[in-house]
Amino acid sequence: MTITVTPEVFNYVWFDAEVIRSIATGLVDALGMNDYDVIIEVDETTPLSGISCEIGDTIRIRACSGAFEDTRKPRQQSETATATSIGRVLLRARDRLVGGFGEAPADNDLSLAQVAAWETYSLGRLDRLGVPTNQQRWRYNFRNRLGFTDATDGAFEKIWGSDGLTWGELCAISETAIPSAAK
Amino acid sequence: MADPYKPRAPFAPWDRRTLPGIFDVEESARRVGNYKWTEMKLFEALGGWVATVPELDVKMRLGTHCYKHAWHAELWHKRLPELREMNPERLTAPANDAMVRFIEAMTEPEAPELTIEKLVGVYRVLIPRFIAAYTYHLNGTSEITDAPTIRSLKFILQDEFEDWRDGEMILQSLIETPEEAARAAAHMQKLEAIMIEAGGIAGIGTLGAL
Amino acid sequence: MRKFFPVEDLARDSRFSKITIADRMADQRTALNVNVDADGPSKRTNNMRLTPSRRDASDGARGLMHGIFVGEIQALEGAGRTCWDFETGTEAPFALKLDMARQCWDEARHVEISVKLSDWMGSEIGQYAENTVLFEAACSSDPVLRLAGVNRALEGLAIDVFTTMKEFGDLAGDQYLEFCEDWMLADEVTHVKMGSDWLRKITENDPERRKKALEFQNVVDKLFSYGGTRSDSQESPIGLARRFRELAGFTDDEVEVIAEVSMQALNERKVAVGQIREAKRLADQSAHK
Repeated sequence: MTITVTPEVFNYVWFDAEVIRSIATGLVDALGMNDYDVIIEVDETTPLSGISCEIGDTIRIRACSGAFEDTRKPRQQSETATATSIGRVLLRARDRLVGGFGEAPADNDLSLAQVAAWETYSLGRLDRLGVPTNQQRWRYNFRNRLGFTDATDGAFEKIWGSDGLTWGELCAISETAIPSAAK
Repeated sequence: MADPYKPRAPFAPWDRRTLPGIFDVEESARRVGNYKWTEMKLFEALGGWVATVPELDVKMRLGTHCYKHAWHAELWHKRLPELREMNPERLTAPANDAMVRFIEAMTEPEAPELTIEKLVGVYRVLIPRFIAAYTYHLNGTSEITDAPTIRSLKFILQDEFEDWRDGEMILQSLIETPEEAARAAAHMQKLEAIMIEAGGIAGIGTLGAL
Repeated sequence: MRKFFPVEDLARDSRFSKITIADRMADQRTALNVNVDADGPSKRTNNMRLTPSRRDASDGARGLMHGIFVGEIQALEGAGRTCWDFETGTEAPFALKLDMARQCWDEARHVEISVKLSDWMGSEIGQYAENTVLFEAACSSDPVLRLAGVNRALEGLAIDVFTTMKEFGDLAGDQYLEFCEDWMLADEVTHVKMGSDWLRKITENDPERRKKALEFQNVVDKLFSYGGTRSDSQESPIGLARRFRELAGFTDDEVEVIAEVSMQALNERKVAVGQIREAKRLADQSAHK
């Protein structure tokens, strides 16, 4: 397993490529993904927090600098944000690689509700791995996509606490919030 | 229904209000002018302190209380012309020089570490003095001739009691060590000494001649 | 306690982290997704308006909510300082100071509401850096300039922000957010009107002072539009709430001026972003040679 971070030296932000590499190594180990090489490309020209992942021979993660940033101290790196962001996309990649998610649309084709459900599933697992998370942040995101109802909150709790779901099971739980959620 | 033309007593049996009061119009106006001046100084100080206190809950309380005291000042400002003072500014004055010194001493603390001192001055010294002066006025003035003042006093006293309770509870939560208790006591003693010299918000005789 | 309180001394607990406008300007990154053609920024636009359909909507709304929260704290502090900094009668009318005290209460409630909303959205107090530019507009030694900067420019921006957030709550089905923004919006309209009324009243016979105040407002408006954050364009996350501004006492001409200033700020930023992107492209190109 090799983990490559680009750029090695940052000009727009005060990030440390070595810190990113070390956090990613820890997560890859914890998630049992050591068979894969990982490339992490950071676009330091934007403060947006988008992050995406491409699975091929290697796992290629593309992140906007905001994904790793300490919102308290602009342009500085947050280890928690870095772990949360990389962890989210690695878990999604692992779900696709391990199986059970064959029917899931490609990342770019996922609906906002589907993204929210998958994020919830990933964040719950990251939380149990010991990565600090603010559950309410993700509950709010889930509600924004699936509705501000008790049924939505029930679905959130179930997804957050789950392990080993398949795409079909994830969609089925989401549909208990709103029937069209999985579409 | 009872006969509407049957003569009835102008004061119902349960209406026990009486005419006599201990203040004439001039004295009432003088006191109201002192109240207005002091309420003004208080709301200005509370507003000024908001930016100087780091504690978020205190910041919000000071902002809220600032308005209440401004409203009290406005009530007194509107009452003055009704008490034959057509130029309210003339009577908007401190009771005496000691009262001016009291306000100067009360508003002196600025540093962010001095929240206890700021709150002690307001909630352990000045507001209790307001409650005392207003209660004395309420109990002593004519219940019939000075009814408008009484109405304002009742509204204002309600605020003062609530603000005093808020401030005292915040202070109790901020004072955590014997050293901090000593700080609070020392500041209170310093301010009380000046207030004693002033005699209260309306000067010597604020609470009558004992 | 001093008269006139410097912005750098604003008291905060350990959760907060302050940044200045200089810090903000030193950050060359931009959230603007500018399409760059060979001859500079393209005319093609990207919809950046903060709506639930944006992929980063939840985080965007949380960040904006925190901005509102710290903005309310500074507005509270600014109104409070106006109560203290000026002598009643000689420097500021008694009634103006009463209005400022009222504003203190309103802003204190807004801070309370913002804390509750931040909890609801999953943010922590101090989770985002605090830009103190709002309080800086409240530091003028002339109360009329403060009213122009704070009540008309800053509170005017608040009208735009609350309108955007209210619509966001409505579209997302978040009644809690929509309800709170609706109430805060009502207060802000009152504050802007207060500023407009006082500005006209105090400068009635002093056209020079009025001109200066309006110029100052213009500067502050542009400052608050920095980076194209607020404008009529869909490229700005926050729109210009024309209807509520009208209710608050802005004339049509005044709204047009703000619209123009905001658009100018957006276009200036786009040019700057284009230059930054081009410089980076050239640097990358030479690095690969």
